[in-house]
Amino acid sequence: MNSAEPKTVVKAWAQRRRAFWQILLFSAGLLVLTVISAGSVYLVNKARDDSKWVIHTIEAENQINALLLEIRRAESAARAYLLTRGADFKADHDKAVAAIVPALDRLTHLIGDNPEQRKSIDKLSSAIETRLGQLAQEIDFIRQDQPEKATALVREFASTDATAAIAEIATGMLQEEERLFRLRTVNSDRSQTLAASMTGIGSGLVVLLAMISIWLVRRSARARDEAENRLRDAYANLETVVDERTADLREANDEIQRFAYIISHDLRSPLVNIMGFTSELEELGGDIFRRIGGLTHVPADGPPPASGEIVLEGADKQLSEDFSEALGFIKTSIAKMDRLISAILNLTREGRREFQPVKIDTSELIGAIVSTLAHQAAEAQAEIHVEPLPNLVSDRLALEQIFSNLIDNAIKYLKSGVPGEIRIRGRTKLGYAIFEISDNGRGIDPKDHQRIFDLFRRAGTQDKPGQGIGLAHVRALVRRLGGTMSVSSELNAGSTFTITLPIAWNVSNRNADR
Amino acid sequence: MTQPVTIIMIEDDEGHARLIERNIRRSGVNNEIVSFANGTDAMRHLFGADGSGLVQKGNALLILLDLNLPDMTGIDILKQIKENKYLKASPVVVLTTTDDTQEIKRCYELGCNVYVTKPVNYENFANAIRQLGLFFSVIQVPPAAT
Repeated sequence: MNSAEPKTVVKAWAQRRRAFWQILLFSAGLLVLTVISAGSVYLVNKARDDSKWVIHTIEAENQINALLLEIRRAESAARAYLLTRGADFKADHDKAVAAIVPALDRLTHLIGDNPEQRKSIDKLSSAIETRLGQLAQEIDFIRQDQPEKATALVREFASTDATAAIAEIATGMLQEEERLFRLRTVNSDRSQTLAASMTGIGSGLVVLLAMISIWLVRRSARARDEAENRLRDAYANLETVVDERTADLREANDEIQRFAYIISHDLRSPLVNIMGFTSELEELGGDIFRRIGGLTHVPADGPPPASGEIVLEGADKQLSEDFSEALGFIKTSIAKMDRLISAILNLTREGRREFQPVKIDTSELIGAIVSTLAHQAAEAQAEIHVEPLPNLVSDRLALEQIFSNLIDNAIKYLKSGVPGEIRIRGRTKLGYAIFEISDNGRGIDPKDHQRIFDLFRRAGTQDKPGQGIGLAHVRALVRRLGGTMSVSSELNAGSTFTITLPIAWNVSNRNADR
Repeated sequence: MTQPVTIIMIEDDEGHARLIERNIRRSGVNNEIVSFANGTDAMRHLFGADGSGLVQKGNALLILLDLNLPDMTGIDILKQIKENKYLKASPVVVLTTTDDTQEIKRCYELGCNVYVTKPVNYENFANAIRQLGLFFSVIQVPPAAT
């Protein structure tokens, strides 16, 4: 046992460590999953944002190009009007001019977030305004039928370079958008790569953790299997040990029974001799003293008096009395020893008797005992009250001995001068029947509570005949029936003996142990 | 033809033997009493050197047997007596300290004729033996089979 203890401690520690690792792994896995989820969500959002910005840039570029296209249309329509004075071209020009303003507005809206572009767009709109103003002037001159003036204006405006300014600003803006486009594309790519790699690494981590977990689980399963095996072995071992011990106990018990039987038997044999020859001696003594009496009383002349009529006198009488007294002590001692030996014999015999469990009507059994003890009870002025009792399955003879001993004791040891009241109660609890035999008798000093159950031991005033066997016998019987008994008592305050017996006792409970 | 009956007493305790003998005599039985203090000697006497019991052929015997002997149990002697064709008709009185019902039953089953428990109380003991003596004086003992 001692050598096994440290091992057990180590094992328990290892088990705790394993459990700790498992919990740690699980937590780590959970954490990684959470981080991956959060990161993925964040990165996917970012990538979407980046993509949006890329699209935004493309839209802005498109818008710039669309604006430029409208300006070119307006210009070319204006030129065509200058050349042909066709009303169609005038309408075309107006339409294009009308489209320019909203396009410009949309562009402003699109790139409003970029202060750089905003400046450019301000410049652009003023350049476009100038250019549109010039075109409007040219068209006015044509309408007023002054083509030369219009042509002069065309020439003049060509030198003012509003068109070039527009192209330049637009190109700048496009370049800026191009730059933004590249930048944002790179950003978007990076976000997506990051998201992908994050998911990849996370998945890998989760897989790794799962594998470690599986490994740990398998290891602990193996440990558990081993422990189970060990437990099974221990159980098997325990059973063997219990069987061995039971066999040992049974053997020891048998040995004691045989021992007690033989001892009591062999003690009896010399006792027969002692008693026999003591009686012979008594007779011899009688003869001797008769002869002495005869010799001392023999009349000088007459015949010796008939035997039996001789009366010893003085020292002779004293001698005879001493002789008888000594023999008397020897005989009473032998008688007592014989009773003790008989008691031991009976006890061992009782111990060897096979019990037969039968269904017992307890009330009837106790009623019978009470009626056989009625005479003694009446003499002792005792009343016996039997309350309803639970029935049980047990050995009838043993139960009779138990109860009659206890009730007999209760009657025997009442307080003199006080009417006795003996009460027998019963109840059941968890498969056991509990009987209480209580009296208002002289009671037992608590220091003697153990002693009264010992063989040949008695307690209290020794004014009643007895060998000190009854309670020892009762307790032995109760134990053999698989029960327990106890006493609660105070001197002069009555006693209560409590017996707990299994309600359904069977042979295997106890006889198998024998 | 009646033959004087010999009482064979197998009793290891000399005191007991003496008391038994004395009380038998007191009851007026004067038959020869042959006592043995152990089983081996008694067996030799009863069954002879060859163990056949032929030596006792034609003798009328009454056997007083104690069960607790130093060298063998009285039960064994009883069994062998009752199994021997020359001796089985001889009455056997088991006289012992044991009053165990199992043992008494066993003895009767083996063919014992009377079972007497030696009481410690001397009065009872003397009475029992004397009554046994009276019983001896009236009992008809057949001679061992021829």
